[in-house]
Amino acid sequence: MHSIWAIATNTIKQAVRMKVAAVFLILLFVLLPVMGFSATGDGTLKGRLQTFVSYGLSLTSFLLCLLTIIISIYSVTSDIEQRQIYTVITKPIRRFEFLLGKLLGVVLLDVVLLSLFATIIYTITIYIPEFLNTTEAERIQANNEFFTARAALTVPAVDVSREVEDTYRKLERSNALPDNISHEEIIARLTMQKQLAKRAADVGQVLVWEFDNVKPRDPNGNLFIKFKYDVAVNPPDMQVYGRWFAGDYQYIRYGTESETPIYDRIHKHSVRNFHEIAVPVDVVPEHGHLAVAFLNDPLNNTVIFFPPDGIEVLYKADTFTGNFVRAVLLILFRLIFLACLGILASTFLSFPVAILLCLVLFSTACVSGFVIESFSFMSENISVIYSYTIKLVIQLLPKFDKFNPTNFLVPARLLSWSLLAECAAVMVCIKAFLLLLLALLIFHFREIAKIIV
Amino acid sequence: MEYAVETFSLTKIFSDWWGRAKVYAVDDLNLQVHHNEVFGLLGPNGSGKTTILKMLLGLLYPTKGRALVLGGDGADPKINSRIGFLPEESYLYRYLNARETLDFYGRLFGLSAKVRKTRIEALLDMVGLTAVANRPVGTFSKGMARRIGLAQALINDPDLLILDEPTTGLDPIGTRQIKDLIRKLVERGKTVLLCSHLLADVEDVCDRIAILYGGKIHTQGRVRDLLQQTNKRQITTDAISDATIEKIKQLIRNEDADCVVTSPMDKLETFFIKTVAAAQQQAQATSGAVSTTKISDFLTRQTTSEDILDKLASAMVSQEGSPESATTEKVVPVESSESQPDEQLLSKLTGSAEPSQLEPVVRDEKVTAQPVESEAAQAEQIKKNILDRLTGRSRSQGEDEEQTDKLQAGDVGDA
Repeated sequence: MHSIWAIATNTIKQAVRMKVAAVFLILLFVLLPVMGFSATGDGTLKGRLQTFVSYGLSLTSFLLCLLTIIISIYSVTSDIEQRQIYTVITKPIRRFEFLLGKLLGVVLLDVVLLSLFATIIYTITIYIPEFLNTTEAERIQANNEFFTARAALTVPAVDVSREVEDTYRKLERSNALPDNISHEEIIARLTMQKQLAKRAADVGQVLVWEFDNVKPRDPNGNLFIKFKYDVAVNPPDMQVYGRWFAGDYQYIRYGTESETPIYDRIHKHSVRNFHEIAVPVDVVPEHGHLAVAFLNDPLNNTVIFFPPDGIEVLYKADTFTGNFVRAVLLILFRLIFLACLGILASTFLSFPVAILLCLVLFSTACVSGFVIESFSFMSENISVIYSYTIKLVIQLLPKFDKFNPTNFLVPARLLSWSLLAECAAVMVCIKAFLLLLLALLIFHFREIAKIIV
Repeated sequence: MEYAVETFSLTKIFSDWWGRAKVYAVDDLNLQVHHNEVFGLLGPNGSGKTTILKMLLGLLYPTKGRALVLGGDGADPKINSRIGFLPEESYLYRYLNARETLDFYGRLFGLSAKVRKTRIEALLDMVGLTAVANRPVGTFSKGMARRIGLAQALINDPDLLILDEPTTGLDPIGTRQIKDLIRKLVERGKTVLLCSHLLADVEDVCDRIAILYGGKIHTQGRVRDLLQQTNKRQITTDAISDATIEKIKQLIRNEDADCVVTSPMDKLETFFIKTVAAAQQQAQATSGAVSTTKISDFLTRQTTSEDILDKLASAMVSQEGSPESATTEKVVPVESSESQPDEQLLSKLTGSAEPSQLEPVVRDEKVTAQPVESEAAQAEQIKKNILDRLTGRSRSQGEDEEQTDKLQAGDVGDA
């Protein structure tokens, strides 16, 4: 253990004294405060905060990723190429201890730098509203929609397969099936029709959605109904009226007595944009089973329907601080993975080649969702072999885009501990560990000394 | 474990990319290095000397055969902790200063902070780099880096010292120092394996040598046996009169033998060291290494006081060290007698009969005396603590004091 620690501290000293880290540090120290005051977003306080956090964290994450790759590779390859390893590895230290020491050094450095910059970003974010002339409304909006961590309840697509089957049989019996379309195609079209019907409300008609397990954190706060209207006929001012209800599902469904108050208001909103209605939390019944209903107001002259992702209930589930800390941990997991990758590459490649390999893998991992999608599309068309080789390799890459912290902080979405644990398990415990294991194996069996005759 | 180093048809073939054998760097080598001797591997450039050392240490894997180092695998940490290795060039971390470098290597051996501190100061003093100890190693000249390299090889007080071209880049004083150090280590029962092509150095220090060519041993044996001209005799005398010489010549002619009479030459090395010692006497400033021919105390003692500290510390933890502490008490006076020949050696090396005339050397001695003293004080403190614990309420106060007295007597002699 003492030798791992000796190697680790030496690695940190190397990174600090060789001024590799200094370049990145200065860049961040200058850029972060500047961005704090230059980022404007859409001009509102919320937009400003979103822009700053998103750019600040992305920049920090990106630069630290580069730094991690460079330092982890440099500290191993330079020891091998400049042969300091001759005097180190002949001391009572096992080869795996040497690599673990290097890894520990890089990760410790990452932890220190990441906490430093996360603190800076956090502090600037918290103080932006203080330094700016903002209206009360802007502050409330920022508090409700940015300085929070909201859990989102969505509505799953309704299962319409039985209705589709019924309709299909009916059509079949009446010989009304079109000849030129295949069976699957007809089923798909019918499914779409039926599902759309479930999300559509004619004038005077009511749509009801139920949400279970609604557990808001703050009993005096609000929950938010987030929705988007689509319309069959465009209204003259592009706005429609909607009467919204929220409360105990038994009252809304069956009209029974409700102990909790029922929200009931008419709003006018523009179509084809997302809007949020704030509803006091006390409408949520004790058992957490909430219903939200929408009545297409008779003043409207059109059918209103909601797109598949057109309705959500959001409520404050945690603080902004908690969410921010978890988002920073996501970055740390990413850095640990890259450190392992760098160590692996440097056990069998020279510095420039290892850097190149890691950068390619890093950028691929950043767009992994896109890459996996495009390959799965290709694999249907090209060949099975393809999907069993390259696809497997790509799936071994971590999904940096899926676990991108700004995906959670900008829309103030709750980044739950369970999601964080999933990321830790997959990215660190499995993928990074495999890389490290491979690195240890390669390093154990390779010859350290160069061949000189 | 009959030999310190033993190889069994050790072979290293460097092959090309296609796996075809290209070069036999080491070819079917059977080498035996006895315990407690200086063994020299000689050979022209590219004869496989360094490759052999690398295979012994596990930096390269043999193609065929195997090597035993101190009875085990040279890559095993247990064996490594008893080996000191100086590679063909001093590969050091350029951004660390001299003291940090030694501290780093000391930590790899798991030495405690206290032991590291005393050893580092002693080693820095020995290699003459105390004055530049806080400068990054990257700014050192080749010789200075070599000195740090030597110091790192000695920080664990190794049983087997493997030196690859130990004297390259060193000035004659440094070379002399390494040679003295090697001899001193062997006197203490250590083994040294070195490879070199500087024949003068090898001739001075090695007990046995092997001459390599093309990865094969061509000759090996005791230096004396290989070089002694058994058909000749040499007589060295003080300056005597020509008449006496004539008489001797007459005696030799009576035996039908021939004889030549000349004044012996000083070795250039001895002359050089004398000159530098004289310059040091005038206290001339130098930005380089301050060369002394001194050897660190912990390397020259039979049992180092660090070991005693270690033992005592472990005894303190386990609380059952009474037999151990009893033996260490006996060891301390032995140390004091050990340091006597050291001073004689010193004065001999600096080329003067009275060491007190050499001011710089004496000044240096004062510097070393300090850590030794404080170390002794620390040892005393720890021992006192241990004795207090061990004897505690059971032993009498008088006995306790008597033991401390004995210890102090030893320390005074030591300092």
